[in-house]
Amino acid sequence: MLPSELLAVRRRRGVIWPRYASMSDGNLEVASSLIRVYQSHLGEKKSVVKEVIDEIEEKGYDYRFVRGLSFLLDRRSRFKCNDQIDAVGLRRKIYHATGKLGLPTRPEQRRQIIETVAFELKIAPETVEEFSYADLETELVLEEFEPLSPRELLEDYNLSLAQTLLFYSTEVTFTSSSRWQKIFYTIKKLGLIYDAFQDGIFWVKVDGPASLFKLTRRYGTSIAKLLPVIVACPEWAVEAKILWKYTNEICDFKIESSKHQALLRKPSVLTVSFDSVVEEDFAVRFQALATGWLLRREPEPVLAGKHVIIPDFSLEKEGMRIYVEIVGFWTIEYLLRKIEKLKQIDVDMLVLVNENLACEKLAKLEKHAKLSFIYFRDKIPLAPIIHYLEQRFKEVKTKQVGFVKELPIVFTEPVVNYEEFAARIGVSAEAVKAALADRTPQGYTVMSNELVRKDVFEQVRKKIEEQISQKGQLWLSEAIRTVEEEGVKDVTSVLKTLGYKVVWHGINSEKAEIVKA
Amino acid sequence: MIRLWFDKGTLLLKGEVGTPYGKWDPRVGCYRIKALHYRDVLSYFKESVLPYQDDVPNLTALQTLKDIVKLRQYQEEALGKWRNVGMRGVLVLPTAAGKTFIALKAISLLKTQTLIIVPTLDLIDQWRKRVNDHLGIQAGAVGGGEDNVQMVTVSTYDSAYLQAEVLGNRFMFIVFDEVHHLASPGYMQIAEMYIAPYRMGLTATYERSDQRHVLLPTLVGDMVYIASVEELAGEHLSPYVHEKIYVDLTPEEQSVYDKEMSVFNDYLREKRIVLKSIEDFHKFIMTTGRDRRAREALLARNRAIKVALNSEAKLSLLAKQLEIHRNEKTLVFTLHNDLVYAISRRFLIPALTYQTPKEERREILENFRKGDYRTIVTSQVLDEGVDVPDASVGFILSGTGSTREYVQRLGRLLRKVEGKRAKLVEIVSKETMEVRMSRRRRQKTSEGA
Repeated sequence: MLPSELLAVRRRRGVIWPRYASMSDGNLEVASSLIRVYQSHLGEKKSVVKEVIDEIEEKGYDYRFVRGLSFLLDRRSRFKCNDQIDAVGLRRKIYHATGKLGLPTRPEQRRQIIETVAFELKIAPETVEEFSYADLETELVLEEFEPLSPRELLEDYNLSLAQTLLFYSTEVTFTSSSRWQKIFYTIKKLGLIYDAFQDGIFWVKVDGPASLFKLTRRYGTSIAKLLPVIVACPEWAVEAKILWKYTNEICDFKIESSKHQALLRKPSVLTVSFDSVVEEDFAVRFQALATGWLLRREPEPVLAGKHVIIPDFSLEKEGMRIYVEIVGFWTIEYLLRKIEKLKQIDVDMLVLVNENLACEKLAKLEKHAKLSFIYFRDKIPLAPIIHYLEQRFKEVKTKQVGFVKELPIVFTEPVVNYEEFAARIGVSAEAVKAALADRTPQGYTVMSNELVRKDVFEQVRKKIEEQISQKGQLWLSEAIRTVEEEGVKDVTSVLKTLGYKVVWHGINSEKAEIVKA
Repeated sequence: MIRLWFDKGTLLLKGEVGTPYGKWDPRVGCYRIKALHYRDVLSYFKESVLPYQDDVPNLTALQTLKDIVKLRQYQEEALGKWRNVGMRGVLVLPTAAGKTFIALKAISLLKTQTLIIVPTLDLIDQWRKRVNDHLGIQAGAVGGGEDNVQMVTVSTYDSAYLQAEVLGNRFMFIVFDEVHHLASPGYMQIAEMYIAPYRMGLTATYERSDQRHVLLPTLVGDMVYIASVEELAGEHLSPYVHEKIYVDLTPEEQSVYDKEMSVFNDYLREKRIVLKSIEDFHKFIMTTGRDRRAREALLARNRAIKVALNSEAKLSLLAKQLEIHRNEKTLVFTLHNDLVYAISRRFLIPALTYQTPKEERREILENFRKGDYRTIVTSQVLDEGVDVPDASVGFILSGTGSTREYVQRLGRLLRKVEGKRAKLVEIVSKETMEVRMSRRRRQKTSEGA
């Protein structure tokens, strides 16, 4: 983040954006010469460093750009007070001498005071002069500098510009592809309030308590601090309302990974980090088992009324999803509050509770259909979890299969895709398949991914036979086209059911032929 | 039952009832109310005979206060007026008229958790010492690295603003020292985000050039008492004289000044730019980011002003003046820190700027009080509130055109000491724009004070 006087922006028709530094040769050259200034001036006074930087500025660059970069480089530097002599103590001696001898208005009076102090401290008069203000900022000496590449400096600068513009924001709306736990934790820590909504994408709007009463920039600084957490994700988009300082006009500021990622510095390395050893250990051991359940860390948040819940993991199999939440330190009150929250959402949730970390003796917890608890001590036990998963999977599947069977539905479409149909009625495709295999609707044939009406099936059979008898042989590509023309996607199953097999003449699929098995 | 509690600088209300003050907050499913309206909401519930549970205040324990503050007659009168209007209001008194004592008396009468908000860290120390001396308790402090809430706590405006979310429900009484600061767009949120039903604003300079002081009645209360320097000078404040000495720039300085100013003026003329107001000037500054020539013009103007303000001719004159007043306690005021340090090095006298370490600052002021140091040179640090009891001579070497700054600098010299006659001397470079700045700052002194 930069001092606000160094913020350079453009505005047009209610849209505002920072004047990002492109990765042009010119800009990279400025960045690299500034970095060199810091590298080559170790041991020099800050005032000297600033003079050299002023010279670069004089060459005709936007002074805000040059000073902005220099500001960022200052933060990578350590300026130290020359500690050979205690400047404050030295000044005290001088002032006292002046108090005693009287304020010097002539050079010889002044020299007398300096010499008195020098004599008293047993140092040279020149040393008195030189070190009396050694602790002033401009007198500090550049002791350490942590270098970076010119490109990194420009990326830092661009991120800082965006953050500085956000100082003037009244609210921000964003989405991101991951790291939700970290993001919501940061929102909370910064004292902001969120409002989440879903329009295909999960969006979060953030402002603060007092934003309700009027537009306020009060939360701008906090919003700016949130930005690095968001842009650390692979994909993200941020839209802020900026209350511009000079005009008091509301402007839109947009920044998104697809357009700006290349300009910005990733704040930290993007490895999936675990909150705790327990979590990491669980994930590693679970994945090693190859259970058929896909484990995902930090799945997309779940809306629970006014709240957002970000479970630690989700486990997915055949369209079924079960969330897993690991509870570390807890009190009964905390657990009950958590359950209250979880009850509001219509998803399966497995809560793993660490008994070692319990703050109170465990009371009987209320049973709830979609909530299950497994207790553990040191290590999360896999056996009961897998048992639970399989049982729940069977339960849900049986229920869904039963549900599909009971559906008073009469199919009329030529082709019914299981997945589409399953999504429509809210069950898994597997359940649909199982139910239909068990009770095939009249007039349809069951394929592995879809139902095909008998007359369509016959139509396909007829066409293929015709083509073979006309041409003597039929290439696979032609057969596929014929089958697809009838609206059937499950080509291979259909051909197989019709009694054909594929004969390959070489590796080229153009040369594959279908023949009666 | 209605329940009311504090949430990060606002109040939340749960219950089957709205109030004239709240607003429905769909984000949390509750009514939300500005903390400023805490008192109003409670009286609304009481008048409407609605039972409620008030979980808002989070107060520290009370301590027993000594009450040894003796007020002068005009101070009594000011306090009385404030008490008559529900203990919410602003008192306007000149610097050195003892505003602090009125506030301390109010604290000892209210005997409640109190926050005193001041503009600078030096003033925190000063108020804490006063609380200690006159109320007999240790005051807490928030700001400048400290975070210690006591029954009476002193904080800077900055910290009070930044920490409104956590401090807003911890005090029932707030004293706003130099209350004109409160009307700024940021700081006004302090008034809005703290619940304190009792509020007292103190200032010598009520009006703001941006007119935002019209907000103060809503935020703190009406102006209930006003007294000017003229009313109190002599009896309660030291009598003072004002003198202005013009100096010629040295020939070299004058030629640099003229050259630089003509760069600036030529540019304005060429581009037909007229700078009449602060807003015009801001707009001009904005163009300097893009337009290199505009920036060069601005830099030329700044160099010219620097020459005028830091003129060697002025320093020689200052030397003569300091010679004349060598036995009096003297303050030298400048606009820029560079000049502070140049003067400090030349005359070997203590400098006070924002860069002076806190401990050293304290030590310098203490030695000045004791008389071990007789001259201090400072930029803006001493402008506000800090007590330098028996300083009697002030030199203004350079300043902005602001009336407020002038009144405050004058105020440093007016604390009543028997037999003292204060003298404020402005040293102004002739034939520069500084003459106009000096005229502007004196223009409204009597109204301003």
